[in-house]
Amino acid sequence: MTAVSDMNTPSQSLNSGLQPDGLPARLRRRYFRTPGNAVISMVGMAALFYLAFHALDWAVLKAVWISPDSTSAVCRDIAGACWAVIQQRWRIIIFGLFPYDEQWRSMLACLVMVATIVLSCLPWSWRPLRLSILWCAGFLIFYVLMRGGLFGMRAVLPADWGGLTLTVFLYAAGVLIGMPMAIAMALLRRSDMPLVSRMTGALIDGVRSLPLITILFTAALIFPFVLPGWLQGDKIWRVIIGFALFFAAYQAEIIRSGIQSIPVGQEEAAKALGLSYWHRTGRIILPQAFRNALPPTINQLVITFKETSLIVIIGFFEILASGNAAYGTGEWSFAYFEVYIFVALVYFVFVFSLSRYGAYLERRMRFGQH
Amino acid sequence: MSEAAVRIAGMNKFYGRFQVLRDINLDVRSGERIVICGPSGSGKSTLIRCINRLEEHQQGRIDVLGTELNDDIGNIDHIRRDVGMVFQHFNLFPHLTVLENCTLAPTLARKVPVEEAEATAMTYLTRVRIPEQAAKFPGQLSGGQQQRVAIARALCMKPKILLFDEPTSALDPEMIKEVLDVMVELAQDGMTMLCVTHEMGFARQVADRVIFMDKGEIVEQGRPAELFDNPKNERTRTFLSQVLSH
Amino acid sequence: MQIFRNRKTRSVVYQVAFLAVFALVIFGAVHEATTKLAAQGMTSGFDFLQKSTGFRIGFSLIPFDPFDSYLQMLWVGFLNTIFLGILSIILANIVGLIIAVFRISSNGVLNDIGTLYIEAFRNVPLILQALFWYAALTHLPPPKQAYSLFDSIFLSARGVFVPSLNVEGQWFAAVALVLILGLAALAWFSMARRLRRVQNRPAIQIGIAGLTLATMVGILVYAREPGSDIVSVPALRGLNFRGGVTIPPELSALAIATAIYGGAYIAEVIRAGFLSVGKGQVEAARALGLSPWHVFSRVHLPLAIRAVLPTLINQYVWLFKATTLGIVVGFADFFSVISVSINQSGQTLELIAILMAGFLIMNNTLSFVLNRVNKAIALKGTQLRT
Repeated sequence: MTAVSDMNTPSQSLNSGLQPDGLPARLRRRYFRTPGNAVISMVGMAALFYLAFHALDWAVLKAVWISPDSTSAVCRDIAGACWAVIQQRWRIIIFGLFPYDEQWRSMLACLVMVATIVLSCLPWSWRPLRLSILWCAGFLIFYVLMRGGLFGMRAVLPADWGGLTLTVFLYAAGVLIGMPMAIAMALLRRSDMPLVSRMTGALIDGVRSLPLITILFTAALIFPFVLPGWLQGDKIWRVIIGFALFFAAYQAEIIRSGIQSIPVGQEEAAKALGLSYWHRTGRIILPQAFRNALPPTINQLVITFKETSLIVIIGFFEILASGNAAYGTGEWSFAYFEVYIFVALVYFVFVFSLSRYGAYLERRMRFGQH
Repeated sequence: MSEAAVRIAGMNKFYGRFQVLRDINLDVRSGERIVICGPSGSGKSTLIRCINRLEEHQQGRIDVLGTELNDDIGNIDHIRRDVGMVFQHFNLFPHLTVLENCTLAPTLARKVPVEEAEATAMTYLTRVRIPEQAAKFPGQLSGGQQQRVAIARALCMKPKILLFDEPTSALDPEMIKEVLDVMVELAQDGMTMLCVTHEMGFARQVADRVIFMDKGEIVEQGRPAELFDNPKNERTRTFLSQVLSH
Repeated sequence: MQIFRNRKTRSVVYQVAFLAVFALVIFGAVHEATTKLAAQGMTSGFDFLQKSTGFRIGFSLIPFDPFDSYLQMLWVGFLNTIFLGILSIILANIVGLIIAVFRISSNGVLNDIGTLYIEAFRNVPLILQALFWYAALTHLPPPKQAYSLFDSIFLSARGVFVPSLNVEGQWFAAVALVLILGLAALAWFSMARRLRRVQNRPAIQIGIAGLTLATMVGILVYAREPGSDIVSVPALRGLNFRGGVTIPPELSALAIATAIYGGAYIAEVIRAGFLSVGKGQVEAARALGLSPWHVFSRVHLPLAIRAVLPTLINQYVWLFKATTLGIVVGFADFFSVISVSINQSGQTLELIAILMAGFLIMNNTLSFVLNRVNKAIALKGTQLRT
């Protein structure tokens, strides 16, 4: 069976067990191959349909979408979802406490940052120089828009930033600062100077064995004690440094294993050509290491996005906290379910598209190797 | 008499407590072509890797092109630029095109302008007979083609000495000849060469001197005709009979 | 700069400089901290650990009341973190195994359910899921209208009430210890190669199991509080339930969230392990005429376990750290008791040091134990895995 299908399906190498015949046959094989299988399929499908029907019934058919008088009165006696809470409170969830009149800035800044992330996913920008310019520019525009105080925009302190925009900001800042840190830590740990590599190793392992929340907490609480006043900056920057350090410790190990999977001959050839350490590292080792480490790097970026939600614990008003605030008033307190689903959907859109992108890259690398 | 390109005197090398090279004395004249052979594990690769300090020696002295190899970092970079090396497994940079492989080191380490480096690279790629592959990536070439690119890459640095570390051992039989042809041409142009290889035909054709090594020592050396047809040492004889018998 | 051209000298200079910068940073930080503490009139030191906290803790494995000391409270948090961490790992493992079976199975519907599950739960932050379950559990009906199962298990906004034995806590610990020892002895006996040739293996195994069970029952019967039934069933008295064991919503929310979230990750790890077992080995087993069950249990499963174990261990360690979310729902884990203590006592630096030390100890112990297990099971030598 496989011999035939293998010959006919060079493009289907992923599912070489399948024969390239019509949809009905494929369906039959997938769902009703044996009587036992058919029974399982029927029961499973019934359960899925039951769930799907109830979900649809609740979320769409019986739901209330709009509150005409901006109170929760419309949702009093309904059996479905009360999406009116989102309609009424979405600005809080997305923008947090950002001044109402200036929320277009927050919106624009958020879009700029998302655009930067999307652009850096395109192969065109996979050059160190282009990537650095892109991120620095995107980040600068974001910061100017949010902070204001320039071009006649009202200044808004970081303490008033919030919602989705704050989440995106934290993520971008953490990765932007963490990535160079990660490269530096990976190279230092690989150094042939025992003292340097041991101490870097101890730092990396130490950070990796602590939960992120303890690092953020420490950054928020300890820095005011141990740093002189001129070095402290805003609380948000202290937290971002902690966040970046955490990301860097994990990413450094990913890069290091990417370096270790490069054949020794590469470095030897570069040495034999008389290239200096920096040229060897920058032109031969790191480009190949990043290529090897791309799938775990994307995975780490996905996890890091989810972990931004932890800063709610140290009192920042990111999207989770603003979600809590959105249903926190007595008026809407029954609608926690709808708000959580909305926030979860926002996260899902980001995380799912990132991880799909990672899976696409992995496939592309596996087949399109040159 | 021309100046010595490589001068090794009383050199010993250890991996931990295991001695891999034992009292090596070797002078290579400028323009001399040397073939080093011997059973696997005899230290022949280690020996030529000491010449551009991919391996460090512990005792004795190595001078290359009049400069001693020691902990001085400037010297090492300098010498490596003047000593080219071709590896068994080619070690081309897979993320760079053939042309970029050839121009990388001249532009970075010798500060040659890009246009000039590319022109030189094309000259050498033409000499190794693959100018049409310049825009491809190494992974798209056959083994023989890759090895010829590796030779061109080494030549682009305009080295004074070329080291070959078993350049044909990883190749399929039908590709060995295309690489050997390039090496013969180089030898005829007067390049100083040290080759670790088992290609006895190549040795007979071009070598000024053949060195036989075993267990980290130079056992016997001489003109190819003498050494191959009339080996004096028992170990040399055994080895040659094994190599020539198939 | 002649010395910088010598490799060995340069290496020494760099390392000394590295060390000097490090020392300078540490010194500066300590100096800054002592100045600031002095300016605020704070006394540093660990004396405050003996003071009583005035705090009440919702869930604790050992007795705790507001008059107990900070040290006791930290200990409660430490134990709670370990308890929740291990509980989460076990639950997530069960969930993960089920979903992995769904994903591997040849049945399309089961595949789809597995995929749906993984994509839905893996792409939403754990903390959001924990908050969601907490909100859902605390919105259950009050005890008076609690959902009941067989009139002995009750679900209400105050928590889940389940029957328990009339035995005090420390005896449960003893029973758990006996159980773990018994299981370990059984596992060692059936896996150790040295004992392969011992006669009457099944009889000895049954003996070990029986002895373990008997000891456990013995302890429970002995420890029963005099004059009470052996089983205590929760029952509604006034506004709340009495008797049995209460699982507070804080604990359930965290356990459910981590089990669901961690299960999605573990399922993917296990699935990858099964897929990584070479076709060749499975085919070789079939060619030898082994039955499908034997192919699975003797070849496929053991190889898959060995292939996934290192990754799985990383997942366990990661999940253990990820459970540190007690503070968002009010569960007294190690982090949240530290946070409370900092607010109460103001001894920030000391408590942060304890926090770090505590997590380093827990984490390194866990990975040490798991890695020993891995080493004991790993294939010896380098074998081809394709």
